[in-house]
Amino acid sequence: MNRSLVIVLAALVLGVALFGGSYFAGQRACRMTLANPADDLVWLRTEFHLSDAEMTRIRELHEGYRPRCAEMCARIAAKKAELEAALNGATNVSPEAAQKLAEVAALRAQCQAQMLQHFTEVSRTMSPEQGRRYLAEMQRLTLGFHEQTEQSMSGTAGHEHHHQ
Amino acid sequence: MKSENTNPEDARLAALLRESRVAPILPPRFQESVWRRIEEAGAPAKTDGGIGWLEALAALVLRPRFALAAAAVLIVTGALLGAREGGQMAKQDAQARYLAAVAPNSLR
Repeated sequence: MNRSLVIVLAALVLGVALFGGSYFAGQRACRMTLANPADDLVWLRTEFHLSDAEMTRIRELHEGYRPRCAEMCARIAAKKAELEAALNGATNVSPEAAQKLAEVAALRAQCQAQMLQHFTEVSRTMSPEQGRRYLAEMQRLTLGFHEQTEQSMSGTAGHEHHHQ
Repeated sequence: MKSENTNPEDARLAALLRESRVAPILPPRFQESVWRRIEEAGAPAKTDGGIGWLEALAALVLRPRFALAAAAVLIVTGALLGAREGGQMAKQDAQARYLAAVAPNSLR
């Protein structure tokens, strides 16, 4: 009995090791083969089945958008630093801090509008169907986070504000 | 050449011999018990505690053809499932890279 049990257990361990090893080897090989860290637009090409001509146009749009996006991000970061300085050590929200908050929000809104405009331009280079899908997907991915946050903070998600 | 035995004395002798044979009295259900014993002798020996299946499994595992086939199935299945998962992960990585390029975290 003991011998049989040892044989079966050893076979099980060997089987798990074989399966696990080949699973992780296959996963790693596939992930590394398909990954292309040099190109940000690989996902667009594969997900939306884009032609070379479409990719060329999208790459131009992308290269034109990147510096504007970086500039806006730098402005937002600078304004956030000002906001943190205004809030530093304060026990309440000063008029200056409120002003900085509004400015950060305005910059974010401006940047988001620019981002959505870029998405719209990119979607126009695709076929109508893929363009609509791209636009919907990008809005879901970039704006969906706020919707989730707002839903979780609203009463519909089980959180209620009690005003006394 | 054979010669037919027509001697009447021999016929009587044969009849006497047949009568003189003692027919043993068989126990009840003798034939049935004989067949049962034959079947039991032909069946594989049972072990205590119901661990026969474990021994059978161990014997199966030790068969080279079964072991090789099982190993091949495990490796191929594992590699295929891993490749599928790796493809999904690569797609997610690529999506995250594109999002990071066009929509920094501060905007999401």
